[in-house]
Amino acid sequence: MKGLSVYPARNFFLPLVLAPLLAAGAATPDNPDRAWAALADNRPQDVLRQLRPDAPLRADRLAWAAARIGAQPATDGNMREAEAVLVELEHGTDELAAEAAYLRARIYQLHLNEPDFPKAAKLYAELAQRQPESHWAQLGLVKLGLLKLYLLPDVSGAGADRLLAAEMLLARIHEPLLRRDLNLQIGQAGIALNQPQARFLPHLIAAEQAGGVTGNAQEDLIVQIGVLSERGGDWARAREYFEKYLAAYPTNVRAYTIRRKLAEVNHRLAPEGQP
Amino acid sequence: MRRLRSRLALVLLCAAYTVSLFWVFTRSEPVVRAREVTIYFAHWQIERGPPDGINAAIKRYEELNPRVRVVQLQIPGATIYPQWMRSNLAGDTGPDLMEWGAWLPGEKDIPARYFAPLTAELAKPNPYNRGTSQEKIPWQDTFHDKLLAPKRDSPDPGQIYGVNITEVSLRLFCNVELMKEILGRVVVPRNFDDLRKILAAVKEFSRKTGRPISGLAGSRDTTRAVAEAVFVAPLIGVAQRLDDAGYLYLYNRQMLAAYLGGRWRYSEPAVLAGLQLVRETTNSMKPGFIQLRRDDAMIEFLRGQALFFFYGTWDATSLRRLAPFKIQPMKLMQAMPDDPEVGRYVVGQGGEGIGETSLSMYLNKTSRHPAEALDFLQFLTSVPGQQLFTDGSLWLPAVNGVVVPEEIRNFRDYQEGLSVGQAPYDALGTEVSTGWDKNFYHLTGDQGSAEKFAAAMDADMPAAMRMDLNAEMRATLVLVKPQDPVIVGWAGLAGAKARTRRQEAEASQTMSEGLALQMKLQLEGTK
Repeated sequence: MKGLSVYPARNFFLPLVLAPLLAAGAATPDNPDRAWAALADNRPQDVLRQLRPDAPLRADRLAWAAARIGAQPATDGNMREAEAVLVELEHGTDELAAEAAYLRARIYQLHLNEPDFPKAAKLYAELAQRQPESHWAQLGLVKLGLLKLYLLPDVSGAGADRLLAAEMLLARIHEPLLRRDLNLQIGQAGIALNQPQARFLPHLIAAEQAGGVTGNAQEDLIVQIGVLSERGGDWARAREYFEKYLAAYPTNVRAYTIRRKLAEVNHRLAPEGQP
Repeated sequence: MRRLRSRLALVLLCAAYTVSLFWVFTRSEPVVRAREVTIYFAHWQIERGPPDGINAAIKRYEELNPRVRVVQLQIPGATIYPQWMRSNLAGDTGPDLMEWGAWLPGEKDIPARYFAPLTAELAKPNPYNRGTSQEKIPWQDTFHDKLLAPKRDSPDPGQIYGVNITEVSLRLFCNVELMKEILGRVVVPRNFDDLRKILAAVKEFSRKTGRPISGLAGSRDTTRAVAEAVFVAPLIGVAQRLDDAGYLYLYNRQMLAAYLGGRWRYSEPAVLAGLQLVRETTNSMKPGFIQLRRDDAMIEFLRGQALFFFYGTWDATSLRRLAPFKIQPMKLMQAMPDDPEVGRYVVGQGGEGIGETSLSMYLNKTSRHPAEALDFLQFLTSVPGQQLFTDGSLWLPAVNGVVVPEEIRNFRDYQEGLSVGQAPYDALGTEVSTGWDKNFYHLTGDQGSAEKFAAAMDADMPAAMRMDLNAEMRATLVLVKPQDPVIVGWAGLAGAKARTRRQEAEASQTMSEGLALQMKLQLEGTK
């Protein structure tokens, strides 16, 4: 106290310096999109600084739980904290409830140190049963498909059973882009699981025809369908995809091989009277 | 006396103050910045050329954007850059734009952890291409190879993280005067057997004259490049045999899994034939080359002690500026089916592709000025930006529509042919690469042989390949997990952009998840 009286200027400046700092620490989001933007920008720590798990708005609590899942350290304890919030949020019939249920399944599938795949599968299935048309239920069916293709013990028999288990989910997915994603995964799993080509190639074709695959995956997919069709003797389809590839990627390192293959396919098609 | 001391102290004080002023205003950051935004652009291309080309582009960019200053950070590569990059990214002090390469050992996780995807921006035209031949063309399609490497090396098959600044190829740089002295004329090798004969002639010339002249300038770095170039010809058939997915191109993860599944070995005849070609070329280097670095090989060549220097066209500007003799770049031709030694294992002409772009630059996820950094990247990879870069560096441009200077036009004379995959069998991952270096002495010299090297590799590789496939899987998972909150974030935001981003993130996460699960299946299925 003595110091303060000796240096009166400090009495004046100290609050000026500290006030903004204190205000910044106690700030609440002035824009409802701020937390979503921080999550989209992969800054979960910012959301944890802004929000609390007992925030009055359900949306804020969901954002907090998503941030808790994404923030480091990713301990099981933190996942349990997030789950506790999600369990409370998933009681309801709106999209937010579905989103909470989806995130809860993701914790069991991916974020725990020791994932619990059967539990995750159960949660996805329950969500799809409860709110089948919700986007999060539809996305959950894609993830359930991955579990059935690779991880679940109840379909650990022959590879064909694994494809079949995932194929059965396709009928329940109505969003075209999500159907495409599961088709692509079934197709790729068919190769990894050494399945006959006839079992998986239609899924790859369906994924390509749905469109919108980005990055290298699109280029690989076009080559793949062309080459696998050629191997299966479907010359017309092979030609279609080789031509498609050359039109889209004329300078790629694979273009030379594809031009040669296209010439071979054209040669084979010629006697069959095809143009 | 006291007055003298006081004056002396005053003079010293004034001198110190003057020096400080000089230092502050000439050597340090300005006290008041003239421009409100500064972005940092870090790379390791400190050869002659690129810094000049980048500076030319920066100068023009700063004229167009008076509020932005761009600082070029030139960090020496090899041993320094990776540590510098890792520590700065971890400490959140990384520059806004950074170079990265998939071959950097132990750095595979960097894009997923620290870089922002550019996929959405790449789908739109580059605004700096207005009024050029590339106007209205999506940014991604303006690149000569449509960004083959950033797509191929992306940890996430649905996203593109980087853009490229130049285009490179590997060439044999020939000392024209020395070749005339040895062979009486300039002989351009048309196939590997021609090169074999030239290298034998150099050895004979050196023996006869007693002059220490090697066929190829030698070093650890350039050896890798030579080995990868000659090794692949007999491997094309192996790659075709392993291509279950029908990609006509094998990713490292596929090669690693195939090795763990027992589907190929270094000691199988076709791979041994490739190793034999590596042995033939490295035996034309001076003894002890494996202890030397790229700069040592360059000095050997510049001193006229080696007929050829084999490396990337990225060294061409340095060589031209430093060599006291005429240099002719030539293609290193691969072995063909009619090769007298290994022809029976070669299924066809191997290709170089049609120009792969390189010098990949990435946007730091935590950049303070992401919009400005992206804007500069767009300028640097626009037709006008690339023209400045190419003219200033004499490095090839990465985008279409740029006038290529006469001196470097033949760098684009590519050999078309069959493709192999992401990396030759020496560099499938960090552990495999380390094993290759560790065992390389088994392949070279009088005591070495392809068989000894293959046996040593096959002894070490099961463990190394498993570790590398595990690392690939972990790098993919690093990308998958953080996507859950990101997807929730995009879902919470309104508008078409947010919806598109959410859909992209969902699709690419599912693809990466599928890939990681395939690798897990392969690892567990081959225990």
